[in-house]
Amino acid sequence: MDKRTKFTLSEEEIPRYWYNIQADLPEPLPPVLHPGTGNPITPDDLAPLFPMELIKQEVSTERWIEIPEEVRDIYKLWRPTTLYRAHRLEKFLDTPAKIFYKYEGSSPPGSHKPNTAVAQAYYNKMEGIKRIATETGAGQWGSALSFGGACFDLEIKVYMVRISYDQKPYRRVMMETWGAKCVPSPSNETKAGRDMLAKDPDCPGSLGLAISEAVEDAVSRDDTHYALGSVLNHVMLHQTVNGLEAKKLMEKLDVYPDIIIGCIGGGSNFAGLFFPFVKDKIDGTKPDLRIINVEPASCPTLTKGPYAYDFGDAAGLTPLIKMYTLGHGFIPPPVHAGGLRYHGMAPLICHLYRLGFVEARAEHQLATFQAGITFARTEGIISAPEANHAIKAVIDEALKCKESGESKTILLAHSGHGHVDMAAYDAYLSGKLHDYEYPREMVEEALAQLPKV
Amino acid sequence: MEKYDHLEIRCPRLGGEVTFFYCRRERNNLPCPHIIDCWEMYFPVEKYLSSKLSREEWDRCFNQAPKNKVMTLIELIEAAKNQKQVPD
Ligand SMILES: Cc1ncc(COP(=O)(O)O)c(C=O)c1O
Repeated sequence: MDKRTKFTLSEEEIPRYWYNIQADLPEPLPPVLHPGTGNPITPDDLAPLFPMELIKQEVSTERWIEIPEEVRDIYKLWRPTTLYRAHRLEKFLDTPAKIFYKYEGSSPPGSHKPNTAVAQAYYNKMEGIKRIATETGAGQWGSALSFGGACFDLEIKVYMVRISYDQKPYRRVMMETWGAKCVPSPSNETKAGRDMLAKDPDCPGSLGLAISEAVEDAVSRDDTHYALGSVLNHVMLHQTVNGLEAKKLMEKLDVYPDIIIGCIGGGSNFAGLFFPFVKDKIDGTKPDLRIINVEPASCPTLTKGPYAYDFGDAAGLTPLIKMYTLGHGFIPPPVHAGGLRYHGMAPLICHLYRLGFVEARAEHQLATFQAGITFARTEGIISAPEANHAIKAVIDEALKCKESGESKTILLAHSGHGHVDMAAYDAYLSGKLHDYEYPREMVEEALAQLPKV
Repeated sequence: MEKYDHLEIRCPRLGGEVTFFYCRRERNNLPCPHIIDCWEMYFPVEKYLSSKLSREEWDRCFNQAPKNKVMTLIELIEAAKNQKQVPD
């Protein structure tokens, strides 16, 4: 095995095509029905928001879709991104596992999001659109689209949820530096915003309201469209540029991952990395490949439980391992049982989950920050809190390898750096996130189910 | 101010810090659908909310199937088109 830390491709090797998983699904995605008519939606239904090329990509079943030269040219500002071998993390964990991570934090906005922001800006420009409206929470997507708009001289209008607008000045300043116009939502600029302000002038806003404002803005002007940074099929498609690079790099190293791990919000960064690999699982060439989606949750595990012996998995089949745990009998309350329950999840990922090609796991934020700090102190990168969820799962899998003595190859989708998230690290480091106590009775209930050793 | 309102957490949807006060009023003064998932480890949030919400409010928050994103967008397009025809 190569002792090197960084593996890169040349600019010439940036993929020329995105990979469309819809060509290889064993069962097609169920059609989306129009809420008014009950019939499958048509391209015209979406035309007020998106350019026709993107609507075509949304439903296309062509396997390879060409990346326009203009988009590849801009990708060259940061692509191909580097594949790292996490030698220092491996050593720290004392694991025989080989850990690789594909790092998307080197893009100008610091995450995977410009892979689609640049593409979406391009197709809008080609269709003669002058403005794009969008919504953003704390500003990750808003800043990526602002960068995309700057690349193609488009005006970007961002409706930023007011609570974040007031608390997070830096991402707003990033957006403005790239030339975007960012207003707090609810704003006075749309009817949805004005109605809300009339009811509650101090309304802190919500993502739902910001989406309504951005869509209203796009529908009410002929020169304006709307853009979404995750969930939709065309967004997943654009992100596959990353997975294709990773696959090429690993082929050069003559390694293939046993486990691929990534965090999921709407699902785009991880889909982008694993789609080109899950193809091999679907066609039967890599039946044992495991793909683990990690989502945020608060089912307490390592950090809050008492120190005890427990079974390592829910079925109680693996050997007893020593860990902090709430017991293998801990069952989350029924409202939120089951994986991939997040409302805004990409239909393509939900579909693959239902078909059994990918797994899901939930991690609590305290444990994810702990993992992020371990990663920063070994690999150096201060990761976005989202990426910390995946890092936590990677560490767990690497420790399982230590127990079993297996030398598995783990590939982590690292979606971005956390330089604009220092407030979250501050909350963790200053102990603020530790202040609350898990209800005693639930700990005791879980403890009662631990095996006696 | 209610008992838990000052507690702070990182919201996985917004990507930033919010208080429990925000979460319990996120949707037009009703709780965010993820509130139980996010807060259950800190205090018995399910019990707390069930004592505060009516049966109908509870169902509206937690017992509705999530909508597909494209469907949500189409509903918003229709709403915006209607507004365009009737300016305020
Ligand atoms: C760095 C980073 N990673 C991951 C995500 C989650 O989104 P997705 O699942 O679409 O990749 C976000 C969303 O804001 C993000 O900023």
